[in-house]
Amino acid sequence: MTQAESPMIEARDIRKTFGTFQALKGVSLTVGRGEVVCLIGPSGSGKSTLLRCINHLETPDSGVVRVDGQPVGSVENNGRTTRMSARQVAQMRSQIGMVFQMFNLWPHISAIENVALGLTEVKGMSVPQAAKIAREQMERVGLAAKCDAFPEHLSGGQRQRVAIARALAMEPKVMLFDEPTSALDPELVGEVLQVMESVAADGMTMIVATHEMGFARKVADKVVFMDDGNDVEAGAPDQIFDNPKSDRLQRFLNKVLA
Amino acid sequence: MELDFSVAWTYLPVMLEATLLTIMLALVTQTIGTSIGFVFALGRTSRFGVLRFAVWSYVWLFRGTPVLLHLFFVYYAAPLFGVTLDALPAAIIAMSLSSAAYNTEILRSGIQAVHKGQIEAAEAVGMRYGRIVRRVVAPQAIRIVIPPYMSNFISHTKNTSLASVITVPELMLTSQMVYSSTYRAIEILSVAGLIYLVLTSCLTGLQLWLERRTSYEARGMSRRRRRQFLGASDASVRMEA
Repeated sequence: MTQAESPMIEARDIRKTFGTFQALKGVSLTVGRGEVVCLIGPSGSGKSTLLRCINHLETPDSGVVRVDGQPVGSVENNGRTTRMSARQVAQMRSQIGMVFQMFNLWPHISAIENVALGLTEVKGMSVPQAAKIAREQMERVGLAAKCDAFPEHLSGGQRQRVAIARALAMEPKVMLFDEPTSALDPELVGEVLQVMESVAADGMTMIVATHEMGFARKVADKVVFMDDGNDVEAGAPDQIFDNPKSDRLQRFLNKVLA
Repeated sequence: MELDFSVAWTYLPVMLEATLLTIMLALVTQTIGTSIGFVFALGRTSRFGVLRFAVWSYVWLFRGTPVLLHLFFVYYAAPLFGVTLDALPAAIIAMSLSSAAYNTEILRSGIQAVHKGQIEAAEAVGMRYGRIVRRVVAPQAIRIVIPPYMSNFISHTKNTSLASVITVPELMLTSQMVYSSTYRAIEILSVAGLIYLVLTSCLTGLQLWLERRTSYEARGMSRRRRRQFLGASDASVRMEA
């Protein structure tokens, strides 16, 4: 299979256990190039864990992850699985943007330096080069005027937009959003969703774990409902929201859309 | 009894020379102790249990026993290993070992105070361990550890006086020798006390300076970084400059 034909993200039969808690019980997910997939489901259903397994922040107990045809975390060779070196994992991660629920900005440097750090430290760019790209990305998320602000002095919505700019600056092949608006005051959710929508419109391949059903319906190409560590039901937004098949999804939608 | 500080004046050069040795002993052992402590602190926060336990045991041993004992022990035990140590090298070794134990714990507290999510964010952009330590953990940890680190440095500096027991001619031993030959204990001890105060005051000043230098939110971006990142033509630079 050539790279162009292969899906952008492919996760096959991912299992992950924390102690006695089975967070993922064999989840598979395929995301095409430029596709936006929203993961919905109750807290603790495994959405975050799945995202974290895709960029190897968690090591899956078993299963295979491929991004753009390349394996992440472990390589299969003649039926034997060997773990990738730290260098290889880091290299793969630099192509996978991640946005966290709690923003996770670095508080000791200004917003623009947050965006530029990966460029200088991972891509080895000079500061002027990195600064130029960082300024462009800050503008893209509508924060050109806040380049010199420290995270502490930004609102939650602004912090999350900086975090998005930080991930985009690396020119990733895919973007993973781990409940990006769940920690925000309601009035700040819109500005972040707007930025995400424009990123999607630019053709980025995205997986978004979210409780924002409106966003999922409007922006997603595919919605996956997860519950209790399983991918229960997947389909186009219309199908998932208007025509849910499984009882569990119907019950979940009744609760969140009520 | 009348006080006569002219004796102290006469012996001041001798005591100042001894002070240089005290400073040297404090700086060298603090530096070695900090270097070892830094590596150990990384070990103490490692994901390898064996490493964590080894470092924990080291700290348990050296923080749990008196420095005075370390001094005697290194001084008298060295011949068992086929070397005879002079007093000064023995003191340097003993005080470095003890300093390492304290600095391990101090630096560890700083490293662990950095929120895990920030390290994950650095991993997620593809940064590797060394760079994460240097660019994300250290700058924040340093700031957090300055007060306890400097407190320990101050007490470590005073503890160099213990090296007098194994005949290192630092300030304390020199003072004792001076007053036992002049019988002017109060005057000489007063001068020695003043000298220690000057040394520790310098460290207190250093602490204030470091705390101010590293308070990033209050200071904002430095001028140099503004120029680098925002460019000279940026409006916000002109407004705030």
